[in-house]
Amino acid sequence: MAGLITPVLTAGIGERNLRDIAVYQADGGYEQLRRAVLEMTPKEVADICSASNLRGRGGAGFPTGRKWSFLPNNGRPRYMVCNCDEAEPGTFKDHMLLEETPHQIIEGMLLGAYAIGCDHAYIYIRGEFKRGYEIMRDALEQARAAGFVGDNMFGSGKKLAFTIHRGSGAYICGEETGLLNSLEGRRGEPRLKPPFPAVKGLYGEPTVVNNVETLAYLPSILRNGAEWFAKAGPERSPGFKIVSISGHVVKPGNYEVAMGTTIRQLIWDCAGGLRPGRSFRGVQPGGGSSACLFEEHLDVPYDFDSVTKAGSMLGSGAMVVFDDTTDFVKAAYTLIRFFSHESCGQCTPCREGGHWIQRTLERLLAGGGLDSDVDVIKSAAHQLTGLNLCALGDSIEPFLASVITRYEDQFRAYVPKAAVAAS
Amino acid sequence: MSIGIDSDASSGVHPGPDPGEDVATWSPYAEHASGSFDALYAQLRPQCESLIAEYEQKRSALIPLAQLFQEHEGYVSANAIAAIAYLVDENAATVESTISFYTLLYRRPVGKYMVQICRNLPCMLNGADELMAYARRKLGIDHLETTTDGTFSYEEVECLAACDRAPCAQVNLEFVYDLTPERFDALIAELAGGNSPIAPLAQTRRPGRTWKVEQDTGLKSPGALGVSNPNNAGGIGDPSGRAMFDLIVGKPQYEQRSDERLLRETTLRVEPSENGH
Repeated sequence: MAGLITPVLTAGIGERNLRDIAVYQADGGYEQLRRAVLEMTPKEVADICSASNLRGRGGAGFPTGRKWSFLPNNGRPRYMVCNCDEAEPGTFKDHMLLEETPHQIIEGMLLGAYAIGCDHAYIYIRGEFKRGYEIMRDALEQARAAGFVGDNMFGSGKKLAFTIHRGSGAYICGEETGLLNSLEGRRGEPRLKPPFPAVKGLYGEPTVVNNVETLAYLPSILRNGAEWFAKAGPERSPGFKIVSISGHVVKPGNYEVAMGTTIRQLIWDCAGGLRPGRSFRGVQPGGGSSACLFEEHLDVPYDFDSVTKAGSMLGSGAMVVFDDTTDFVKAAYTLIRFFSHESCGQCTPCREGGHWIQRTLERLLAGGGLDSDVDVIKSAAHQLTGLNLCALGDSIEPFLASVITRYEDQFRAYVPKAAVAAS
Repeated sequence: MSIGIDSDASSGVHPGPDPGEDVATWSPYAEHASGSFDALYAQLRPQCESLIAEYEQKRSALIPLAQLFQEHEGYVSANAIAAIAYLVDENAATVESTISFYTLLYRRPVGKYMVQICRNLPCMLNGADELMAYARRKLGIDHLETTTDGTFSYEEVECLAACDRAPCAQVNLEFVYDLTPERFDALIAELAGGNSPIAPLAQTRRPGRTWKVEQDTGLKSPGALGVSNPNNAGGIGDPSGRAMFDLIVGKPQYEQRSDERLLRETTLRVEPSENGH
């Protein structure tokens, strides 16, 4: 295990109080920002990010450098928004980073903001992270007092405004355009794309929205060089990743590993494997939105492309592990109920589809199901994907479809015998 | 399996007006006497201004302002909505519409302790269903309800991002990890006895049975109730149509939400209905 874990963002967590700016600086903190602001041009910073091939850690895995390059050079104001609205079921990495190393997030955000040449950075923290919000506020005060943020960064005369925004409870605000609407004081309903935020984002101006973990990697990448990052893990999906492992494992937690570590290593060597006497039934590799993988996928390397090739997605890097005690009907119901609850209601397939499947599963679980219910669920699930403004509607189907295919008997077992006979 | 509110639950009846309060004019929508809100507004005004100054456009401060007023009043009152509308230069309907989108903003009073247990998958795999059933019995209330003494409100929420320490919960947005029925008992005893480090929420009005205008289940797509096949939904004679009719017309569950203004500007009064709203 010792060889697998590679603490980069998580270095020092649990050992030192990294919320204190002095401790963070003793670890070399804010040095890269100082170097960037005083000695480098924004383009040099952006080039290092592109060369490192850092891909977004929030779910979509889009190359960060490419995302930045889409900003038009139209002389309009630009914005950097850090997405800390972590709410994907099974994901708890940003929660840890926010509460343990807020300065790393601030430094990463400022580096990103400097690289794209923006003058106002926002961080959107989910409403439930009240404690994290307070920690971030304190950290920002420290950074302001030290002169790292504000009207005169490092005495260079460069300006950067920084606002911490706390949401108020809505999963959909983690979707980037929903987040921007929420940040503008509107309902967190996703926007039609295109135009993408890079062209028309916050207040209608070019905006970059990056995940907390993505931005937090920037100081380390600048410190160690793009090559260091690009050489860890597979070429097309390099670097390190915090994997949140939960569910039926002995030691659930956040484990930072190089990309390409296999799922088997993550479950058994990092998270301590299953509870004694239990056997493996499946794993969701990328949070609640991802399809379930099974025994035959255990040796799949954990990186964006390999997990996609295996039929699921890496998503936000949250693994939920299921052992043989799992009732997959209940598990599917729990997730469908979540998506149905969190649907913003703009698109009919998502709003109605999720709700219908939830209702049908509810009836099945209550013992009033019909034999045809299982087929209805199957057909309904396939009618949701690709028909919605954002990815939430598309997230309803993958887990359900994967487990209903694999464990159809569990679903059928809920149908009362009388109903089977009647059909 | 029931995840909604059982409207017949005996614990669910709203206590109604306080002794001495005028029953004829009592309403959960009634506003504070303007004097007390004016004082609060004057007190918070500088904080409001600095929140607005954080953003490049005023409207961005809408949610932080609602959070601020809720912190002091326990919920976002009609007075607060009017104040926010004035501060961000939008109309009250826009503010109300925005606020209603967010689950952590309460449009009606809640208990002093908002107990929110996570019901999502990783917690469920670690016994959240049993814990939630236990919590309901212990508190004597259902999902989205407040105890009659106004101390506890209870909600089953989605993933709180603490899956490594499941099942988890929040009380007034402070995390509580690794819950078991025994720990839940201890937590409730501590809160009820006032021995907890978790501060109570402000409570300027007595809460009703629930703070939700629309319920979590049922009203989003009422046709789904009692219907055998989603492909048959809608249309005359279809059971889903009847279910919808019963739900919305036959058994009104919510009042119109623009009552505040009517109350202010006319002599119309909303009587507390049987189910306490």
